[in-house]
Formats: sequence, structure tokens, C-alpha cells
Amino acid sequence: MFDFEYGEELELIVATARSFATDALLPKLRDHESARGVEDEVARAYQEIGLAGLELPESLGGANLGAVARVLVNEELAAGDAGAAVALDPLGAALYPLLELGGEAALEELVAPLLEQPHARAVLVCECDAAFEIGDRVSGTVPWVPADRVDLVVILRAEGALAVREGIRLQPLPGSGLRAAGAGELRLDAAPILAQWQDAAGAARAWARARLHQASLLLGVMRQAAEFSRRYALERQAFGRPIAHHQGLAFLITDMRAAVDTARLLVHEAAWRVDSRLDCTAEAAVAYAEAIDAASFVGPNGVQILGGHGFMQDYPVEKYMREARALGLALGGFDGAREEAGRAVCEAREFVDLSYVEAS
Amino acid sequence: MDFAIDKAMREKLEEVAERGRAEIRPIGLEADRLGRPIPADDPFFQKLVDRGEGRTRWPGPNGRSPSRGLASLRSSVMTLLSAEEFAYWDRGVMVAQPGVGLPEGNVLALGTDEQKRRFLSPFLEPDRPRWACFGMTEPSCGSDAAAIQTTAKKDADGWILNGAKCFIGNASRSDWILVQCTLDPSKGRDAQRAFFVEQGTPGLGGFKIEKKMGLKAYESTSFSLQDCRVPASNLLGGEERYQQRAGFKTAMRTFNAGRPVIAANSVGIGRAALDEALAFAREHDLLSSERVRDRLERAARKLKSARLLCLKAGWLADQQKPNIVEASMSKAIGAQVGMEAAGLGMELLGIVGARGDHLIEKLYRDVKAMDIVEGTGQIQRVIMARHLVQLPR
Repeated sequence: MFDFEYGEELELIVATARSFATDALLPKLRDHESARGVEDEVARAYQEIGLAGLELPESLGGANLGAVARVLVNEELAAGDAGAAVALDPLGAALYPLLELGGEAALEELVAPLLEQPHARAVLVCECDAAFEIGDRVSGTVPWVPADRVDLVVILRAEGALAVREGIRLQPLPGSGLRAAGAGELRLDAAPILAQWQDAAGAARAWARARLHQASLLLGVMRQAAEFSRRYALERQAFGRPIAHHQGLAFLITDMRAAVDTARLLVHEAAWRVDSRLDCTAEAAVAYAEAIDAASFVGPNGVQILGGHGFMQDYPVEKYMREARALGLALGGFDGAREEAGRAVCEAREFVDLSYVEAS
Repeated sequence: MDFAIDKAMREKLEEVAERGRAEIRPIGLEADRLGRPIPADDPFFQKLVDRGEGRTRWPGPNGRSPSRGLASLRSSVMTLLSAEEFAYWDRGVMVAQPGVGLPEGNVLALGTDEQKRRFLSPFLEPDRPRWACFGMTEPSCGSDAAAIQTTAKKDADGWILNGAKCFIGNASRSDWILVQCTLDPSKGRDAQRAFFVEQGTPGLGGFKIEKKMGLKAYESTSFSLQDCRVPASNLLGGEERYQQRAGFKTAMRTFNAGRPVIAANSVGIGRAALDEALAFAREHDLLSSERVRDRLERAARKLKSARLLCLKAGWLADQQKPNIVEASMSKAIGAQVGMEAAGLGMELLGIVGARGDHLIEKLYRDVKAMDIVEGTGQIQRVIMARHLVQLPR
């Protein structure tokens, strides 16, 4: 039976993430961006409130929560600062192949050492974004990863994944968005393969969770862009009234809100599927595609509503626009997600199913 | 969090689908082909009544409810899923069905016991198809419900109504029409009252069934009220209730409850177009084209998101939480994506769509109304903007 309630535990986690994002991330958004990193004090606070190990198993000191918790927390953190949200999480979406394909052993071997080093970072990359030569060793160049340091590279493939810890070089880049997490071109030069797994079902779930990770960061960015510009439009006057009261802008503001709410529902539905262990790959692709679609509408229009001010870095909306775009480029981006989702639609027999229906 | 359509819901939806395939879509297509509403004396309607449909939700004078099925199936969420599924097969036939229809909510919420007995009793266990309807829209006012011009004047014997209504579903076949009037057009919403006007009342007439682009299975009818006299007891809720200035809010509440249903209808029509487009593409070997797959993907994604918006609005209503923004949002978006899906379907058909005999072409005509009835997409945005940015009235 439909229930849109989060439940008490998740409500509490969301409230914690929200106040951390509002108090610790939002006010320092430009500082973190220009420093290409998060202040130690902020990183410590993040550890202390327990957001660091959200999806990790208890054996690694985690809370062992699922995709729903992750997307709710990501939205809140990214509403504060998406770049900092990426910087604060040493594993990011690289965790999912390890969780879904590698299991406990991989977590012990690959994740545990990473958690002990401050500023260590793992990144997830895929073959839609870069060409790799994969044999006994891996070579290839990934044009952009949001990191200034990489300790572990996880390559997610269609039917499996592999991990690399050596032979990694990182060439710094200016970065379009998410600069608080850093930016670099990643090169693997005959990097030895540390571990690899073949399991199409596990890979499919890892893809779903990785896309939802990204989609939920988009939700936070676009929510903030929509909300900031809405409030601005109520204060800024033109032709004798708040600009929000000119219908051209009023309708734009309602449509931006609708875009965010719509994308959120798809993200939540797909995350619920992940946690319920239902088919979720196409659904997560749909959610990611919609989040990108919505963010591409909301991001630039947030700047538009502020006019000239929007273009200046005194206001955060230009940052939201850049990050709303950058976040939607990874993991094969819009086209990759649409291709996956479109193939699923084409496989439908008589009816295209839009909801999960319990069998008898 | 739970997004599953459970077993009880699934069975209910399968029932609708079974009827949809066997009778709803065929009779809807026939009405479309013939360009006229399904006649009131069509055996289809009698069959529905014989099966126990077309009954009021009112439990009757003694409060004893006729068999109504599981309580969980009466949630707004279930109503929306059913409305979507029904519209998948034919939205026009859905509106044509006998029953109290639109005014039922208002009568249940505001009607006096005496009014419920008089006007709803015949719908408890009807032996023939019976209809009722709600008359709000006028030739010169649609979405701006505060601007209606039909007047009600009181005299010693009751009320005298004058004015004209249009696009009223099922009006000429209705036992009674709940007509929204004003005591003084210059006083806006506070001066509005609703009256039961029974068929055959002198002064009620000039019924004209409109010719429409789509949704032909039900009649959309204009009529006039010329010195139409109704007794004082026909004022909805009785005299006392209007001393509390609740007149306009009545109408607004109806609009609010109806919005997600229209959105769900639009999603249903859009889904039908998507499924037909997919079948056509498969049959004509078009699925290897990326452009075709992208069209289908977009239609499916937008329809799914609109369904979730509707269900969220309905769920909020079930939880008795405010849903004004969500209801309007679901309506604005739902109508848009239904239209888009039908449009993409037409693109996929190519000139086959121009022949005028393909189901997608009918759906394309039908779905347009979903962005108009119960407040246009623009009005929904005005309502949202009132809440989000305090857009002045």
C-alpha cells in the first residue's frame, strides 16, 4: 500500500543531515570551493554525527542503511554544498560495486584501509565515460573525476567490476563544478588489477545505486537553486512589485518546483526498489534521467531569475547551475540513462509497467 | 516508504482492465465514430445498473451502508489508480457512467439530511440508470469560478434562478442539476449559492448537446434557466449554513478534490497512447531506431512521474494533510504529459496518424480536455503561485 512517509528513524537522519548542511556546509560554500577541499573541522563534525558510514556494514562501524537513507541524506547535503558532499564521502558511489559484487571480503580489504587515512578518496568510473584497455592490467584515461587525490579506482562494467589501487596518476583540472571535491584527469598506466568480479545481477544493482547517488545529489542542488531564486524573486522589485508577481516568473517558479518534486518521487521510488530487492536498474536510470532533465531546467533558470546578479559569484546560483550540469554528466549521463530506460520500455509486452505490482 | 500496488488493488485494477477491454473501449470507439454521446437508454447503462453500479456513496437514511467492498479500496490512492485505468480504456465512457457524479461530494459534505433523503435516495439502489450533475461553468466564465453570472433571487415562495450554463456533463439526462448561482454578481464568492434544480422544473430548458473534438461518449450540454423557480428547501445546505459565508469555499473544495483525478485520467490516456505506440513501433520494426526509443522512453518516464505526483496528492488527502500545491501540480503536469505522450504517439505513426482511424489519433483528441477541465494548466500554476510566492489575486 502506498506510503510516502519516511518513518521515524529516517526523519531523524534527514533532520541531522539538514542541520549539518545548513550550519556547516552552506555558509562555507565559497571557501570550500576555492580551497578545493573541506575544512578539517567540518570533516570531523561529519564523522561525529554518524553520516560517514551510512551504508557501510556494522563490521566497519557503519549504520548498514540502504538506498532510501542515502538519497535522503544526499539531497540534504547537496542542498548545502554538493562539492563538499562529494569531498566528505571518501567512497562515494565506488562503494556500490564493492558492496554488491565484492561483499564483506572486498570491504575488509579495500574499504577498511581507506577509512583509516584522512582525505583518502575512491572514485567510480565506467566505460561510457572513458576507454579502457583491460587485460591483466588496466590502462586508460578518464577525462574528469571530482577529486584531487585518488587512492582506489573502481571500474563498473555491464556485467561486473574491477578495482585498481596502483598505477594511478591524477592531473589537476580547473573543474566546472564540485570544485570543493577537487578535479582531475585520471590516468591508469598498466595498473595492476587488484580484484575483479563477474556478476551481472550485482553489477546491475551497483549501477542503480550509483545512478541514484548521483541523482540525489542533483535533487539537493536543484532544490536549493529553486528555493534561493524563489526567495529572491519575492524581494526583488520591478515595475512596482516583486518580480515573482509577474506571471511570467511566477509560472517559471511553479514549474521549477514541479521539476524538483517530480524528480524526487522517481528517485525515491527507485531507491525503495533497491532496498526491497526488486528490479531497479531501469527504474534508477529513469530517475537519473529525470533528475538530469529537471536540473538542466532548474539550474540555468535559477540564474535567470536573479538576472545580472545571478551571473555574479556573489550569489550561489551560478554555482548551482554549474554543479547541476556537472553532476548529470557522469556514469554515461543523460544519454546513457535514457538508453537503459528506453531499452526496458521496448521490452515491455502488452503494457508498459509504471509501478511495481505485487504478484498473487 | 512503500510504492507497491498491493494484491487487493491489483485485483481491482484487473477488473477494470477486463471490463475495459470487453466493453468500455469498444463502446467509446463506437461513440467516437458516430460522433454522439452514448444514448441514455443504451443497454450498456442498464447492464451497469443491474451489476450494482451507479450507486451513491451515501449510506442511506438509517446509516446502513449497502455492500461497498474493502475499506482500503476506498482510499484516494485507489480512486486515482482506478480513474487512471478506466481512462486508459476510455475516459469519455467513464464520465458517461450513471451515478450522482461530481456533486456527490458537495451534497454529502454540505447537504441537509432532508436533501440527502430527497436527492440521493433514488441512487441507493436504482432500478434504471440515473444521473445527476454539477453546473458551474458558464459561457463567459470557466476557471474564474468567482465570476459566475447566473443569479438567484429570493421571494416569498422560494428562489428564482436566471442564467446560462455550458459544457455540463450529462445535464440533459440528469434527474437533478446542482446549479451554482450568485445572489449578486458584483459580490464575488461570498454571494454564491448552489441549488438543486430538478429535471422538468419550468424555466429549466434550452438543452443543447455540444459537438466536441473528443470524449464523445458523454454529453457536454448547455442549458438555460429562465425565471426558474425552486423551493427554499433546494438551497444546498439550507439557509443557516450560508450565514457562515461558506458559499464559495464549497466550489473550491470540489475543484481541489477533482484535480488529481483528472491528472490520473490524463496519465491513463497517455499510457494507452504509449502502449499503442510501442505496439505500432514493434509491428513496423522501428524499435532499433534510437530516436523512436527516445520518444518512448520520454513518454514512459514522464507518465510515471505524473502518476507518482497524483498518488502523492491522493495520499496526502488520505492522510488529511493539505494538498493544494500537490493537487494543482499533479493536474498541471499530468495533463501536460498525457498530451505529450499522445503527441509522441502521433509522431511515431507518421501519416498513419492523419488517417483519422487509429486509436492514438482519438486519444490525441481526447486528452486535450484534461488540460482544460477542473481548471486549466495556467490556472493550476496560478494556484501554485499563490502558495509559493503569494501571487496576489
